Amino acid sequence: MMTSPRIHIAAAILAIIVVTFAATLAAGMIGASIERTLTVFFISLIGVAGIGIYAGNSGILSFGHLAFMGIGAYAASILTLPAPLKAATLPKLPGWLAATQLDLLSATLIAMAVTALFALFVGWAIGRLEGSAAVIATLGLLIIVHGVIIGWRDVTRGAQSFFGVPRETGVWTAAIGCIVALVAARLYRDSVSGLRLRAGREDPISAGAVGIRIRRERLIAWVLSAAIMAMAGALLAHFLGAFSVKKFYFSDTFMLLAMLIVGGMTTVTGAVTGAVVITLVTELLRRLEGGFSVFGMDVPPILGTAQIGIGIIILFAMFRKANGLAGLKEWEERVFRPAAERSETAKPAELQEKSTLQADHLTMRFGGLTAVNDVSMHVETGEIVGLIGPNGSGKTTYLNMLSGLLAPSAGTIRRGAVELTGLTPPEIAEHGIARTFQNIRLFSDLTVDQNVLVAALSTKGGRDARARTHAALDRLGLLEKAAEDAGTLSYGDQRRVEIARALACQPSILFLDEPAAGMNREETEDLMARLRGLTEDLGIGILLVDHDLHLINLLCTRIAVLNEGNLIAQGTPEEIRKDPAVIEAYLGLGKEHQSARSTKREPQT
Amino acid sequence: MDLFLQQTTNALALGGTYALLALGLAVVFSIMGLINFAHGELMTIAGYVLMYCGIAGVPFVVSVPLAICASMVAAVLMERIAFRPVRNGSGATMLITSFAVAMILQVLFQNFISARSQAVLLPAFLSDSFKIGGMVIGVNKIVAIVATVVMLIFLDRFMNHQKTGIAMRAAAEDFAVARLMGIRANTVIAGAFALSGLLAGVAAVLWVSQRASVDPLMGFTPVLKAFIAAILGGLGSLRGAVAGGFTLGFIEVYLAAFLPPELQEFRDPIGLCIVVVLLLFRPNGLVPSSVLKAVKV
Repeated sequence: MMTSPRIHIAAAILAIIVVTFAATLAAGMIGASIERTLTVFFISLIGVAGIGIYAGNSGILSFGHLAFMGIGAYAASILTLPAPLKAATLPKLPGWLAATQLDLLSATLIAMAVTALFALFVGWAIGRLEGSAAVIATLGLLIIVHGVIIGWRDVTRGAQSFFGVPRETGVWTAAIGCIVALVAARLYRDSVSGLRLRAGREDPISAGAVGIRIRRERLIAWVLSAAIMAMAGALLAHFLGAFSVKKFYFSDTFMLLAMLIVGGMTTVTGAVTGAVVITLVTELLRRLEGGFSVFGMDVPPILGTAQIGIGIIILFAMFRKANGLAGLKEWEERVFRPAAERSETAKPAELQEKSTLQADHLTMRFGGLTAVNDVSMHVETGEIVGLIGPNGSGKTTYLNMLSGLLAPSAGTIRRGAVELTGLTPPEIAEHGIARTFQNIRLFSDLTVDQNVLVAALSTKGGRDARARTHAALDRLGLLEKAAEDAGTLSYGDQRRVEIARALACQPSILFLDEPAAGMNREETEDLMARLRGLTEDLGIGILLVDHDLHLINLLCTRIAVLNEGNLIAQGTPEEIRKDPAVIEAYLGLGKEHQSARSTKREPQT
Repeated sequence: MDLFLQQTTNALALGGTYALLALGLAVVFSIMGLINFAHGELMTIAGYVLMYCGIAGVPFVVSVPLAICASMVAAVLMERIAFRPVRNGSGATMLITSFAVAMILQVLFQNFISARSQAVLLPAFLSDSFKIGGMVIGVNKIVAIVATVVMLIFLDRFMNHQKTGIAMRAAAEDFAVARLMGIRANTVIAGAFALSGLLAGVAAVLWVSQRASVDPLMGFTPVLKAFIAAILGGLGSLRGAVAGGFTLGFIEVYLAAFLPPELQEFRDPIGLCIVVVLLLFRPNGLVPSSVLKAVKV
């Protein structure tokens, strides 16, 4: 299923096919040298698109993808190398390999499959690394594979040139490979998995809270991109005929990464733009490298003109457009802005779980600090429970434990008969519990619609995701803003998008962490009406954290008060208002109490 | 046993150089989030200054400070010209900018100096060695170890007792707040680059004194190793950079010394596998940066 309007996908695919064919035809008319340049360009573009599938969507830069390209190149070449030549150059090859001699297509497909399997294993091993550790693991992959290829002489001829590969990659073969890679990259970007991965790139914590298992999505992208890289490698090997392991190391890694980042990592448009710009500049400067004359003046040959030119282009592009020349949107997303697809009006969903959320004796210690100390609470569907307390009293920590973000140091959380203690945020979301965040955590570069849709797709098996998205947007009054980027909205709107996103998970219990913070009186009134609607129409239970006591008093049937990690009171709004412990926590002791205390203390000092 | 002690000395010398480079990367990264791949070119610049000083007959005691100064100045210029415009960009933007800087500098070295490796005249005592028990230890190894220790003590004093050093640590914790407290962004960042240039310059002197030659790509390999060391130690943490540098030095030297000959070819892959496995057990590095832990929800 595609998550973006059909016209975007159709326009993108059509453009990829038409432009690739047109370029190939044009090159054929101009001459053989242009055809060779175009072939190299197509193969680079396959590589750039391949890296982009992983790096662009996950936001994790990878230095390791050229390793996959190398594996693809060697695997395919060993399969297509003529048997007599194999006997001469690789005498120690195992018998079954020595005898095989395949055509380019089957060899490429097998190479892609082998590389994908290898990537699956590697990705499984290093998938739990985050941030810079993940980057270094990919760098390690590059160096390790490079070292193994050099050491494994019987199969790879080591550091020597691997030659005699049939030169079967013509410009048309490369063009078709390029179309396959670009279409795959474009489709993946707006597939369900791609959208989830992009959401995770924007904010991994809230992605988990709406049911996204981010490691799994990363692994999918990693394996797919490895297969594409293997295709680039196989085609390159059969274009060059002879190559060595150096072709799949740092300098080409940097070149492909430069293309990707200069163009814009997050889009296929960017990958193409970057590849075109850098290839054009390289070709142009390479022609000037041997020296040239301007107005009768002879410019002497300068070694590495092309490299300097590329360096300057990169600097210029990064100074002017830090997100890449193409920015963060595909070209078709800028050109075609269709009205949101009208989906069938969703019937108000029946609550699936009506059981009570019961937390018993929850305690959270951070080192020596006890942030929450033995607090028990329950939330039933159809009621709004307030959780209040001064700053630093442990409210958000409590929510973080209930939503699986923190594993409690002690205590249990259960939903009816099901034990929830220690589950991950996506698993909690699957049990009908959704939340919003105190510091807004939207997927800023995605549209409002995508923010909500990705949540609907990642919970309850993604059933009726469109209808659920529509219903959630409608309920929060966001239908008009559906096509806007979430990061560009006003503060109050962003808070409402967060609630809509949580609602799209079809929760039966909803945690709202300061939903009215930063809203003016009118917006707060509007929010209150909508929250009441959630409990009255849909029967959702709400656990509401806020500092706005007016809002809490009007909405909540029960209130729990935390102070310094302890539950100091629980009851109806009237009871709480009169509770002396609460008054003390909020307002401090009255004057007479204070003076009484200080006189009492005096003898001690 | 002698062999083991001797290799340990080698590991300390190599690890110390990695640690200095990793520290240079970490100082800059902790403040502005840039992984500076052009750090290696600072080393190369220092190496070339040593080479020219040798040709001109400048005494070694003068040429070493000159080389280190050149590397510091180059680092500050690099920041001013190339990195300031992308200061607020993403990690990828800054990283690719540093690639570009490295690439341009390498081509300039090739064109204006030489594409080939150039010999560097070094004082004779550096290539001496002496015997302790059954061990033969090169003077250059001892110099490397002593220089590393001196630099680490200096850095510790600087970061804990100097105003600029304390400002840098504050900026590394939270740059926005540090600025609100009146710490000047440009000063701190320029200071961080100067410090990283200093560390790269010292590392370059040590590196060149083991090899007596310099080429346009000289800085690439050690800085790649330092990059790995910095992340192994915990990117952004200065103690981590030192720990990572020494760990990597020990891994490399011991593998070279004790791996059976038929596996020697796979030395680098095996070393990196060890690093990746270490990272799998400690995903935030050996000594994680305190900033990483504080994810506020």
